[in-house]
Amino acid sequence: MSVPDAPAANRPRRPLIQKYLAALFIAVVVPLLANGISEAWFGYRDQRVMLGQRLRSEAQSAAGKIQGFLDDITDQLRWTVQLPWREGTDEQHRFDVLRLMSQAPAVVDVMLIDGSGRERLHVSRVNPDIVNSRVDHSQDPAVIGARASRLWYGPVTLYGGSEPHLAIAVAGPRAANGVTLAVINLKLIWDVISSIHVGQSGDAFVLDGAGRLVAHPDISLVLRGDDDPAAARLRELQQAMTAAGEDTTEGINAEHRPVIAAMAPISGPGWAAFVEEPAAEAFAPIRAALWRTGLLLLLGAVFAAGLGYLLACRMVGPIRLLGQGAERIGAGRFDQKIEITTGDELQDLAQRFNEMAVELALSQERSERIARLKRFLAPQVAELVEGSDQEKLLDSHRAEVVVIFCDLRGFTSFAGRAGAEEVMGLVQEYYEALGGIITRHEATLTCFMGDGLMLLLNAPVPCPAPALRGLQMAVEMQAAMQSVVSSWRARGHEIGFGVGLAKGPATVGRIGYEGRSDYTAIGNVVNLASRICAAAADGQILIDQAAAAEIGDAYPLTPLGTRPLRGFSEAVPVFSVAAASPAGAVLHAAG
Amino acid sequence: MTILRRTILAASALPLLRAGALAQSSKTYRVGLVSIGPPESGILSPGMIQNFAKRGYVEGRNIEFERRAAQGKPERLPGFIDELVAKPVDVIVTSSYPAAAAAKERGGKIPIVVINSGDPVATGLAASLAHPGSNITGVSEIATELSAKRLALLKEAVPSVRAVAVLWNADDFGMTLRYQAAEVEAKRAGMLIVPLGVHAPDDFDTAFSEMTKQPPDAILMVTDILTILNRKRVIDFAREHRLPAIYEYARLVRDGGLMSYGPDEAGIADRAAGLADRILKGANPADLPLELPSRFQLAVNLQTAKTLDLTIPEAILVRADDVVE
Repeated sequence: MSVPDAPAANRPRRPLIQKYLAALFIAVVVPLLANGISEAWFGYRDQRVMLGQRLRSEAQSAAGKIQGFLDDITDQLRWTVQLPWREGTDEQHRFDVLRLMSQAPAVVDVMLIDGSGRERLHVSRVNPDIVNSRVDHSQDPAVIGARASRLWYGPVTLYGGSEPHLAIAVAGPRAANGVTLAVINLKLIWDVISSIHVGQSGDAFVLDGAGRLVAHPDISLVLRGDDDPAAARLRELQQAMTAAGEDTTEGINAEHRPVIAAMAPISGPGWAAFVEEPAAEAFAPIRAALWRTGLLLLLGAVFAAGLGYLLACRMVGPIRLLGQGAERIGAGRFDQKIEITTGDELQDLAQRFNEMAVELALSQERSERIARLKRFLAPQVAELVEGSDQEKLLDSHRAEVVVIFCDLRGFTSFAGRAGAEEVMGLVQEYYEALGGIITRHEATLTCFMGDGLMLLLNAPVPCPAPALRGLQMAVEMQAAMQSVVSSWRARGHEIGFGVGLAKGPATVGRIGYEGRSDYTAIGNVVNLASRICAAAADGQILIDQAAAAEIGDAYPLTPLGTRPLRGFSEAVPVFSVAAASPAGAVLHAAG
Repeated sequence: MTILRRTILAASALPLLRAGALAQSSKTYRVGLVSIGPPESGILSPGMIQNFAKRGYVEGRNIEFERRAAQGKPERLPGFIDELVAKPVDVIVTSSYPAAAAAKERGGKIPIVVINSGDPVATGLAASLAHPGSNITGVSEIATELSAKRLALLKEAVPSVRAVAVLWNADDFGMTLRYQAAEVEAKRAGMLIVPLGVHAPDDFDTAFSEMTKQPPDAILMVTDILTILNRKRVIDFAREHRLPAIYEYARLVRDGGLMSYGPDEAGIADRAAGLADRILKGANPADLPLELPSRFQLAVNLQTAKTLDLTIPEAILVRADDVVE
């Protein structure tokens, strides 16, 4: 849809298109935004809760695996305390230990202590075996602890300041079975811890009760000892969780990456298993949801803008067309129609505009026609003719008409003498005196010729008793002119006024050419009236016989006998109105 | 083909080309492997290539190995290190103390991963296990103590043993420490040590004649490159003279030795590759703690026992990880 720009001066300050855009934009974007924000918020909360749950269960599973690693060793250690120490069972006990050590590679050192707390056997992977040293261990915390609860976990110690080891002591069901104290190389938990994967790239680690890193997929971190900053960061994660009373937290891991971590206790040795997942990865679904919402918002906004623009165009386009149509009508160009096919109220409106244009065109045409008619018809006659079947009335036809000529006497010599302004002033005065009378009597003015006038009666609109009517008009004209003439004479202008009236058949109709047409009569009667007028003296009204016959007694006429008239072979009988002034007075009284 | 299609194809091929360019331009790591031993064994064996391969390094694509075998001639080691520095390599993996020492002395700042070099803290290669502190990390050995353990195991396998001849490279301070540990244990266990320190391959004949003159009850061979290169002669001599013998590594048992006890060699080589990998990925060797061997292998060759008319007691067999039958 092409919308021609309105002239800048006419451009509205707040165009419809802007309002539409704003309204649709708000209508689409605000609900989307509200929905997006609420969805993002609730989604984030749900995801966060789910993430916490998932990591918690991962942490519990990791704790279970670490505990399982220790439990496997503990179970095997228990075999070594199944039998009580008696004479001759030393070899049996020794085999139990050797088998244990071949089964459990993490066990690096085993000490068997008998019921009285004496060391009976010490097997190491590095040092020679020591048999029956009988060293008293009865006051060792390990022995006391194992005797109290059958299972004792020692603190984690670092071999050479690096490799973490754990002492575990188990006691037999009877005191006589003694206690087995084993040292576990915790480096071998690496197999367990490195097999735990959380999400895509998350992993697990273990801190002991003192916050020392016991197990981590990066074995180097474990081996760095107590003062390592990486392990300190992991301790901070633990402290953050403990401080908040939560079992998940966000923080920085050993590799300086932001992570979400969860913690689960490993009850046996009093350690804690942790799982960590990179925050970027853990929040990926949340971020994806936010992106989706954002994208939806953007699409919604674009859609709203597009829709608003389209609708506004559909609205504004026809409105501009209507505006242009109105401008054309204002300029009087009714020929062009407004083409709107939107099928809605705007189309109806355009239809109305078009109809209005047609009616205006008709009306203008009519008023133009009336204006044209008024050139030769009295205004009221013109209205009448226009209202009627005027074409027929104005058609050429033969009719019995009354023709009246009148002109000024001595005008030609006056015009030769006087200045142009004086001449025109006088002519103006002359026509003003006659105009009103002619109009009142509904005579048809066929033409002006300087100081002369030709009037018709009974054409184009027929009237009863046209001769009488014409006569009455002539009397009034003569009366009016006489007062005018007397004032002219007072100014020294010897000018008179004469009227000639004849009745007879003539051809009437419009003559002329495109845009310039007059109504006129053609026939002998016209010549006659003209000649009679020429014969009339100042203040005189002369009538031919036909007119006089029609008037009869209706008006007092004086036969003047025949007069020879130029262009007529025989002398023509003429009549004059008896007394102008009294007759005028009578007529005035009668009118 | 329309221009449009061509453009689309070109556009879709672009990322592939970029990825290709990246793979092309991605670094090819150079790793120097320096052993005092023979080629094709220890860190120069195909097993070491495997250790790197399982960490994503494919020889010829993103890793190149510079293998150097001194074949028992420590004087060649400094030259090797100079060659590697000239390349230069990204990391040097050394096997044996002389190789480690040469790398430390001449390797400049190139990271070094050492194995089979005794205790790097004791020898001054590193500050501590947890924080090596310089450009050297690797796997430490619990080698000294293990000599006593071997003597004890030998005694347990063959209880009648009393006099044990100890063969060791007397030029190597680390090996001498191992000999001394055996001496202490012998004293404690009431045994007698026949010291047979060697300096050169020729010395083995002297040692053999010593043992022929005054036969010991058994042999303990402290394993270094000198003794490794002459292992065949020792194993043959032991079989000939029906002498039980204990070595350090399982491969000597597979070569016909009676028994061995020591850290798992393959495991140590694997850890060396693991540490080298970390260094190639940007880790600072000073921050990579020295590791200790975590698994030990007891190997017994029952065929050899049979030729010696020995019955290996159950207490040994129950803990044997590798039994050659």
